[in-house]
Parts: sequence; C-alpha cells; structure tokens
Amino acid sequence: MIEVDRLTKRFGPVTAVDELSFTVRPGHVTGFLGPNGAGKTTTMRLILGLDAPTGGTARVNKKRYPELIRPLHQVGTLLDATALHGGRTARAHVVSIAQSNGIGRSRVTEVLRLTGLEAVARRRVAGFSLGMKQRLGIAVALLGDPAVLMFDEPVNGLDAEGIAWIRQFFKALAADGRTVLVSSHLMSEMSQVADHLIVIGRGRLLADVPTATLIESSTRSDVLVRSPRASELAGLLAARGATVTREDDGGLAVTGLDAPAIGDLAASHGIAVHALIPRSASLEEAYLDLTGESVEYRAPSQDGVPGR
Amino acid sequence: MTVAEVPPAPATAPAPVPVPSLAVRARDAITCEWTKFSSVRSTFWTLLVAVVTPVGFSAIVAVALANQPARAAPVDPLLPGFASLEYAVLAVSVLGVLGFGTEYSTGLIRTTFAAMPRRRVVLAAKAAVLGAVTLVAGELVAFVSFFLAQAVLSGHHLGVSLSTPGVAGAVAAEGILLFVVAMLGLALGAIIRHTAGGIAAVVGLIFLPAILGLLPAPWGGRVGRFTLLEAAHQVTALHPAVNLFSPALALLVLLAWPAAALGLAALLITRRDA
Repeated sequence: MIEVDRLTKRFGPVTAVDELSFTVRPGHVTGFLGPNGAGKTTTMRLILGLDAPTGGTARVNKKRYPELIRPLHQVGTLLDATALHGGRTARAHVVSIAQSNGIGRSRVTEVLRLTGLEAVARRRVAGFSLGMKQRLGIAVALLGDPAVLMFDEPVNGLDAEGIAWIRQFFKALAADGRTVLVSSHLMSEMSQVADHLIVIGRGRLLADVPTATLIESSTRSDVLVRSPRASELAGLLAARGATVTREDDGGLAVTGLDAPAIGDLAASHGIAVHALIPRSASLEEAYLDLTGESVEYRAPSQDGVPGR
Repeated sequence: MTVAEVPPAPATAPAPVPVPSLAVRARDAITCEWTKFSSVRSTFWTLLVAVVTPVGFSAIVAVALANQPARAAPVDPLLPGFASLEYAVLAVSVLGVLGFGTEYSTGLIRTTFAAMPRRRVVLAAKAAVLGAVTLVAGELVAFVSFFLAQAVLSGHHLGVSLSTPGVAGAVAAEGILLFVVAMLGLALGAIIRHTAGGIAAVVGLIFLPAILGLLPAPWGGRVGRFTLLEAAHQVTALHPAVNLFSPALALLVLLAWPAAALGLAALLITRRDA
C-alpha cells in the first residue's frame, strides 16, 4: 500500500506537486495519469525518498521509504529504464543491485528469465534497445519479490508484443494481491490495464476513481438527435427535464434522457427522427476533459519543471 | 526476444524479513559496489595506466638522472618514483570521480539510492572499495618503481637501499598518494554530480595550487606547504625541504584534503535531491 498525504514539492517558484493525497491499494493495477509535466515522476521520486518533500508525507507499507531496510524486498520500482552504465552487462547490473539488498544469484537468473532477457544477460547494455532496457528495469523491480511495485512510463519503447506482455504482467501482479502503480501520460495505455485511476494535473489531484466510474461520470455522455422539427423537439425534451444543447450542424446533444425515451417522446408527438445516436465518451475523452484545463494553463514558464 | 510468461504466484503475505545486522548490511553495500567497480572496462584500463606508466617512467627518469653530466646538487634517489607518479595521480583521480560521476550522469544513482536509501552507506562502501584497490595499486607502484629506479641508479653509485633510514617510510608514503587522490576524486564526483565537472575540479584542485609554491619567498613555502602536491613531495622526499612542514605534518595535510572533501560529500549527499 502506498499512502500519500498532502504531499507538496516546490522547485523554486514552481510547485511541481501540490498538496497531493491519495492511497494506492493492493490487488489493483492503479493508473497514474496526467499530461507531461503534471508531476507524476516527481511524486514517484518523493515516494522513494529520492527527493525531499517541501511538505506532507509519503508512506509505503506504513513507513517512510528511507526507513525501510533492504527496501527492494518491499518496493520494486522502474523510474528510468535508460539509467544504466552502458559498459556493464545486463547480468552484472542486476547482480550489483541484488547484492545491495542481500538477494542471491538464483533470483537474478530467475528475474532475467521472467523478463525474457536470459539470452542477452551477458551482453553489454549499451547495445540494448529501449524495449530491452525496459525489460531489464522490470527485472530489477521484481528482484526482491516486493508487494509494492511502481513503474514510470513502462510502456515507452515496447513493441506491440511487449505491450501485450506487460499488460498481462501487471494484471498478474495485481491478481497476486500486490500494489501496482503505473504512470502514463496516455489514457489509451491505461484503459486496457488499470482498474483504478489517479489523475493529476499541474501537481494537483484531479480524480481518484475506478476506471469505469470515470467513463460514466463524464459530462460528454449524451445522445445526438437529428430531426427536421428540431426546435419543437428541443422544447418537448426540455419540458421533460432533459438538457438540450444545439450543435453547429443543427443536431441536438441531449443529456438527462436516454435514447429510447427520446425516441418514444418524438413518436408520441409525431415528430420524425432522422438520427438517434447515444454517444458515450471514450475514456480518452473523459481524460482530456479532466486534464484539458490543466494543460491549457501550462504556459512556457513551466518548461523548466523537472520530471514529467 | 521471446515473450516471457507471467510470474508465478508468490507467497501471499510477505514473509517477515529479519532485520540484518549492521555488519551484514555493510557487506551487502561493499559487495554491490565491488561488482559495479569491477564490471566496467574503464576500471581495468585506468588501473593499468596508473600502474604501468609510473613504473616505466621511473626507470626513464632514473636513467636521465644517472646520465646527467655534472651534478650541482645531490640527486634525491627517491625522485624518479615520485616524479613519475603524476601520471598515475591523473588516472586514479579520474577513476575516483567516475565512482559517482557516471551514476549521476546516467541517472543510475536513483536506482542505487532506491536500493540503499542510507546514502552515506553508499559513499562509505564506494570509498572502501576504491580505497582498498588504490592503496594496493599505489604501494605496488611505489615499491616496484623504487626497485627499478634503484637498479638503474646503483650502477652509478647513486642508489639507496630500502634499509637506509627514512627510505622505506618515504616509499610507503608515496603509495598513499594514489589513495589520497582517488578519495578526493570520489568525493568531488559526489559533490559535483557530473563526470566532466568532477574531473575538471579534481585536476584543478591537485595541480593548480602548485602555482602557489612559486610565490616569492617566503610565501611560496608558507602557502605552498598546504597544497596537496607539495605536501606529497615533502612526505615522500628523502631529504625534506626545510621551508615546508615536517613530513609528519605534511602527511596530515595530505590526508586532510580527501578527508575534508569526503566530509563535505557526506554532508551534501543526504541534503540534496537525487
């Protein structure tokens, strides 16, 4: 379990993380979403004790990360897959990190096998593709068989096969009862794998909801109605308590009544209906609705914000 | 690359991990840093340069000294060993900077600190590994250079033997110089957090203050005796200069440089964001 409580981080005049509070629970894949520069990486660094918070606390399994002894047994992380010494072999890299937490060679062999890197384990990582480096980072995260896992943009650089593999992988980790936090700036990546979403923008919490709820709660879930007597129909719909917005092309965007009710209403008044289309916003649209404002405000002055 | 299978089901509840003793955690940190140190080629090449060049050079310097036509002043028979060590000083100080420099430059330092959140333990473990290696390499270089140079000089009746008073101590002190600059480099790498910047700083700190020794008398000696290379020269000379610190004090000056730098590194390493 990861508990973040009023976490704040300022870099000079810029507030990268602003009074952020959320809890990541075991047994779920939790998507950590936000546009670039929203503060996702900074939040993860704060959780890991790599950066010191300006205010608030972050706890992993009820403890501040720096208090953990042999932390890899409790928390596995992948922050930046390219953060490697190119001259070291994949195996030497993993072995060195394993040794720091008293983890044996057999576990090193095992995680390299789990991530499909056995065949290249003795090659220098300078020659690795980004996808291979991502797998290597995941191997390191798994070393201590931790109950909490955090991945920062793990899908970057993976091919289609790798993406399918990693989704299945995250789901299996969560099904084991582990806490899995996966960040991304793309909702399309998360919608397939995360069952809970934490959305932030400009360092603030925008949503902390189950994925399904986010879609349902979207304001863009409506019914498009086209009719030659649109104005008349609009009046009738409004009288029934629906909210009607006239679109530029003459269509009516209706919320508050579902498609069958609208069709029945039109029929009972003898109004022809040429189109009756329920439109449920995709998760992507719901996400854009949420973060749109925070992106718009991202003026050039925010270019200097460290992390993503 | 093949698609690997999904991990097997682990134990549901994490088994209570017994808290390892301090000694075990120190061993973990040191084996980790040893693996990092020994698994990159730059370590091997730098040490090779650090050992081979001074040994070879000391023989060349000895030959040059022995063949000087007329000698105004008596030759310090230990000079070849010390003079040729400067190349090793350069190589080993860079090796020291690389200890933290490459980790900060690549971002690997975050993985390191996530694995070992007690950052001073990381600093201490790196210092232990690099310190042990450079001390051994330094003494090896010092004694091999000594015997090689004396073999040349003794043919001209200029040599000294290890049993001559002061000689063994001076040669052993020469070996410490590589350890000193390695520690200085390590600390500067941690302070500056950048490989190129760290190298510039360590080279600057070692070689630039030598200019101070050239100030007009008596200031050359008064200020110069605090510089690293003058102190090293004083410690390793058979006939120490009279206007500088005594060899014992000079040894303290020599050790104070890396001690101060490591102290500053230990202070900063926990205060700054990784």
